[in-house]
Amino acid sequence: MKEIDARGLACPAPVLQTRAALQEAKPAAVKVRVDNPASQQNVKRFLESQGFETVLENEGEDYLVIGRFKEAPMPGEAAIHKKESQAKKILVMCTADRMGSGDDILGKKLMINLIRTLKEMGPDLWRLVLVNNGVKLAIEGSEVLEDLKSLEQDGLKILVCGTCLNYFKLLEKKRVGETTNMLDIVTAMQLADKVINL
Amino acid sequence: MKFPTDENVIVGLNRADDAGVYRVSEDLALIQTVDFFTPVVDDPYAFGQIAAANALSDVYAMGGTPKTAMNLVAFPAKDMGLEILRSILEGGIDKIKEADVVLIGGHSIEDKELKYGLSVTGFIHPNAVLTKKNLKAGDCLVLTKPIGTGIINTAIKAAMAPEDLIQEVTRIMATLNRGAAETMKGFDVHACTDITGFGLLGHLTEMMDGSGMHVKLFSDRVPVIRDTLFFAAMGLIPGGAHKNRDFFKKRVEFSGSVELVLQDVLFDPQTSGGLLISLDAVKGPALIDELRNANITSATIIGEVASDGREILSVL
Repeated sequence: MKEIDARGLACPAPVLQTRAALQEAKPAAVKVRVDNPASQQNVKRFLESQGFETVLENEGEDYLVIGRFKEAPMPGEAAIHKKESQAKKILVMCTADRMGSGDDILGKKLMINLIRTLKEMGPDLWRLVLVNNGVKLAIEGSEVLEDLKSLEQDGLKILVCGTCLNYFKLLEKKRVGETTNMLDIVTAMQLADKVINL
Repeated sequence: MKFPTDENVIVGLNRADDAGVYRVSEDLALIQTVDFFTPVVDDPYAFGQIAAANALSDVYAMGGTPKTAMNLVAFPAKDMGLEILRSILEGGIDKIKEADVVLIGGHSIEDKELKYGLSVTGFIHPNAVLTKKNLKAGDCLVLTKPIGTGIINTAIKAAMAPEDLIQEVTRIMATLNRGAAETMKGFDVHACTDITGFGLLGHLTEMMDGSGMHVKLFSDRVPVIRDTLFFAAMGLIPGGAHKNRDFFKKRVEFSGSVELVLQDVLFDPQTSGGLLISLDAVKGPALIDELRNANITSATIIGEVASDGREILSVL
């Protein structure tokens, strides 16, 4: 296990030191030692963002974060946590407010139908990304607004392209989802197990 | 502790608010506030602007008009060139001018760590004082600036924030709350505060405290500076955010769909944050329209106040 001693450092230095260590080598497990609970929480969040599962421990005056890379074999406790994250991560990308090309009225109906049926994917449905005309699904007056809200309540994260909302002057009309940027979208695409492009 | 007071104190330490208010006559009260801190950005001129906007904000949050200001400076003259101090003061003066306030004095000391801020005095009618404590059932909550400055400033310290993001967050922090304060004067506002070190959830809890009201915050509506969630997920979170969570968590109830990373953002301490305004929900959209017309483009309704017998802050 790679050990990192970041005691005596103020935020954000412990995170940066951990990050540098991960960039050097890709360890399956790391133990980061810090001297305050805020740094411990920050290192935990950083490791989780990098695909590690974490356990927090205290040792004397020290605060520890033990991270294990998720794909590596995990004994005991960690294996139980793994179960929750076993759902596939499906990202659905809507680039239009209608489905397919051809007849627009039909296309709109199909899109409504699609959004209403998306929940059949269950917990595998991980992100819904709305870009370009797709952002119009998330605004006031959208026929699928209630469906999207209910998907969101069930834990689906809906990412709505901020640049697109801005372009259509719809920023204030957005009623569901999280206004997002291209970096978030690209990161989500990278983390997803499957990307479905509509 | 027993604080000296008299019958003309309208807002004092017995009910701490954004600023103190003292009645001078039947139709005039003074608002007094002081605020200074260490640099949050590298550019000294921008730091001066931000510190001044932050100090002036307390007067705006009370519904008042700032009139006079005095500089407060702690400067490490042995380690830093005086041109840095000059830039800081110029930044401050430009914001003071923008606020139509006069600078009438100040005080400086030598100190190991640089600090700058203002003492500000403002005017208000004694009956028009807006405190943070007066939420009413059926109110909506309006926030006038996006949040995330603490996390972005941490990312700046980590040298991970791109230049355009630094400029954007600097602009947000240096924006006076003057436009928001003047716009809300046309409305029957029940309560107001400005968002600073306790973060959005801390300041909301303060407003709720003792009101008996159930405050609902729609977390997906809260305007957040771009990339804030990205950096928060990386653990670039200031220590103050964790302190805020520890201090306020007993009063806050998160629904299952509010991810930890967003919770962190909602607890993020803000520098020179926006006004948080409570007014009748029926008037909310009209206030938003006027704020946006006044170029306060982030103004958003982020929550509601209800009376159902529980005093709790629900984050949905």
